Formats: sequence, C-alpha cells, structure tokens
Amino acid sequence: MKRSFYIMSDGEIKRKDNTFVFENDSGKKYIPIEELNDIYVFGELTLNKRFLEYASQKEVPVHFFNHYGYYIGSFYPREHLNSGYMILKQAEHYLDSTKRLFLARQFVAGSAQNILHVLKYYINRDKEMLNDTYYAIEELMGRLEGCTEVSQLMAIEGNIRDLYYKAFDLILENPDFSFEKRTRRPPQNYINTMISFGNSIIYTIVLSEIYKTHLDPRIGYLHSTNFRRFTLNLDVSEIFKPIIVDRMILTLIGKKMITKSDFDKNANGIIMKDKGKQLILQEIDKKMGVTIKHRELGREVSYRTIVRMELYKLEKHLMGEKEFKPFQSKW
Amino acid sequence: MDKEEEVRVNGTLVWYYNVCEREAWLMSHGVTPDQSDANVEMGRFIHEKSYRRETKEVSTSGIKIDILRKEDGQLVIGELKKSSRFKEITKWQLKFYMYELEKQGIKARGELLFPEEKRKEQVFLTQEDRLRLDNQIKEILRLVYQSEPPEPIKIAFCKNCAYAEFCWA
Repeated sequence: MKRSFYIMSDGEIKRKDNTFVFENDSGKKYIPIEELNDIYVFGELTLNKRFLEYASQKEVPVHFFNHYGYYIGSFYPREHLNSGYMILKQAEHYLDSTKRLFLARQFVAGSAQNILHVLKYYINRDKEMLNDTYYAIEELMGRLEGCTEVSQLMAIEGNIRDLYYKAFDLILENPDFSFEKRTRRPPQNYINTMISFGNSIIYTIVLSEIYKTHLDPRIGYLHSTNFRRFTLNLDVSEIFKPIIVDRMILTLIGKKMITKSDFDKNANGIIMKDKGKQLILQEIDKKMGVTIKHRELGREVSYRTIVRMELYKLEKHLMGEKEFKPFQSKW
Repeated sequence: MDKEEEVRVNGTLVWYYNVCEREAWLMSHGVTPDQSDANVEMGRFIHEKSYRRETKEVSTSGIKIDILRKEDGQLVIGELKKSSRFKEITKWQLKFYMYELEKQGIKARGELLFPEEKRKEQVFLTQEDRLRLDNQIKEILRLVYQSEPPEPIKIAFCKNCAYAEFCWA
C-alpha cells in the first residue's frame, strides 16, 4: 500500500540517490520512493528540477497549498497511461449532451444518496428533527430525472447542499460552529473553513487516483469543462465528500477534537492553524486506508481503492460496457 | 479501435490472448492495468535484475525478445517469467517469436527461463505448432477489432491479475 507524504514545515526537498530527502531545522527525513503515492506540500518548500524530474519518472504527483491551506495547484507528471481510445470515449460523452447529462446526473444523485446516508446515521441516533431535511432532500433528488440541462442539475445540487449544511447546526448543537450560509474564497466562519479545506483534500485524492487511470482529468461532466483546469476530479469527489469529508468534520467537532481555538482570523477571513489542518489530514488519511469487503472482487479494498474503482466504473461506462452507478456507502 | 489502423499481433498479445481474451482486448486498446499492482512491479523488477549479462529486449517487427545470445552459431531466444505457473502460455509466446523469426529467415532455438527457480527449458517448433499459430493470429485480430471488450469471466488468473479491480469494479 503506497502512502501520501505530508510536508507541513518549511524546508527543502531533494533527490538523493533513489529516495527523496526532506530537510529542515530538525534534521533529515528520507522518503522511500517506491512506497510513495503522492506528496502534499503545505510548508514553504524549496525544490529543484531534479526533484520534479524524479517525481515524474516515479509517477508521483505533488499537490501544493498556500500558507492559509488553500489549494494552489498540482504537479501532475506526464501521463504514463495513455489510451487514445479512452480519451475519445471521454470526449464523446462530453460532446453528446444526452450522454453528458446522464453522467452529470449520476454525480449529483450519488452525492445526494451519500448525503442521505450521513443524515440517516444521525436520525438513528435520536436526531429525529433531521427527518424534515431528509425528506426535503429526497424530494429534490426526485427532480433530477426531469432536468434537461447541466445547469439545472447544479442548481438542485446547490439546494440539496444548502439544506444539508443547515442541518449541521442541528447535528452539532454547538454555537461556535453554526453554519449560517456557505461561504467560499474566503470562508467566513469555522465550519465553512473546515469544509473548504476538507473538500480541497478530496479533490487532490481523486486527482491522484485519476493519474493511475486512462482518464483525462480535464474533461468533466458536471463541472463545466474549459479544458484548462482539472474538472473530472471535482465531479467524482461529489460522491465521496459526504462520506469522507462531512462525516469527518461532524466527528471532529462533535468530539471536541477541533474547537474555535484551532482557527485564526485574518484579512482573508477565517483560516485554520496548522494543528487543525494536521488533524484533518490525519483523519482523512486514516479513512482512505480503512478497508471494506468488496463482494464482486472477493476481497477487502481500502477507500482509496474504492475511489480508483469508481474511476474504473466510469471507464467501463464510457466504453459502453456497464452503466455507471455511483458508489453508495453502506456503513 | 480505428478500422484504418493496422493491428500487429505481437508476442505479448499472444500471451494475453491465451490467458484471457478480455485482457488481450484491453491491452490492445491501450487500456493498460494499474501499474502499482504488486505483480506488475514484480515483473518489472525481475526484468531489471535478472540475466543482466545477456542482451535483452531486442526489438524487431512486432517482436520484443527478452534474452538473446549466440550459441554454436545458432541464435537462442528466451522468455523470462516469474514462475512456471504460466508455463504453457509462455511456451506459446516463445513459439510465436520463433515462428516470426523463421518467417524472416532466421532459425532460432527457444528457451524458457525461470530466474526465481533457476531453471530453463528447451522449446521446439513443430509443423502442427505453425498451423495452430496461424489460426491464433487470425482469432486475435478478430478479437481486437471488436468494438467492445468481451465480458469479464471469473477464472483462476483473476486472483493475481492487475486488471481485477477494473473488471470487477
């Protein structure tokens, strides 16, 4: 099982023989390349072309975040798995509006399914007042079928998320973490800051997995494609946000593992201190390693593999082999 | 697969075809398996570390030969595999290479090599083999020109196959 490597402190990364070495004030850390899935850079990092060259050779993507924890971009090495056939299929499903609508709808429906799953968990734990939200989201889900434009799907998805995030207040009952409304760039309160940070991590996780497939991350279906930016990872992330990011946020706040002291205010709105960011990274990383039994495959697979298999399902849909049905959490 | 594009049946494809038709179809369409699969890495590693002193991976039209040397004026070609589990299948791949070389007027002897087991085995090409290979090449072409891959079927090879996660997703 390959692992992600997180760089939180300031320092320098270099290629040393057949490893990477990260050096800072507290010493050197060797990173064996064969066990490396990807690298996350949060600290102020010095690197050179030799490092990038080796990362590319060893097929290791590097994701960069700025000082506040906002995603900057990724070093996405030269594709190593190229299939002209698959790219054509991907484009075909984008250019044909019926095919594109179908996939876009699947991503929204998959997201909504897993949102309901998260709500159900709390309803079963004496939060009956969430039932109204549950039914309202169910009702919105029913409208997906009638959508004829991707923009309509996006609007419904926005409505579902609004209802759902408002329900966080009922789940948490913690005035420090009241949701108010969704704010981005910059997020205006604690919970929005956590959501933004968690989402940007899941986007990069999916991007790292796309790198291991034949899919082109620049062609998405729900999030509008401008062929310059990665969008497919945003699409697929919708399915996993509720079960990986949202659950983690609710747990961390619920167990008081994150409190308002983990945040700072600055001109850019609310930002998370390193300790909080580290905790979120740790929790998501742990979750990606959790395994569940996969019936058809006949063995246990980790959530990270589940994400990759979701991309394989998408490939098979594009190939006309099997209709894409988004992953539904059962736990 | 583009109809105008000519497909060359190569040894690798022959090998996959004998293991699993679906795998051969996927391979020929550039849908290669997950490179981080332990067995894929193992194969790469064996390749990099074994029989270092001998020439390896010589390419000629549609053929990539693992090991090549001259012995008593005769060419010896070999095929490297992790274990003898795939013996029959590897044998056919090697026979395919010998046949291809023969068509180019080169007589070669074949050897199956199992570096992990430190053994080798001689392989010969008979008239019957040639006919069987001719048929197989036709069948492979028919397969790769299909617009969709054959459905996945659970076989013994699935257990260690790098495509398993793809097929059963």
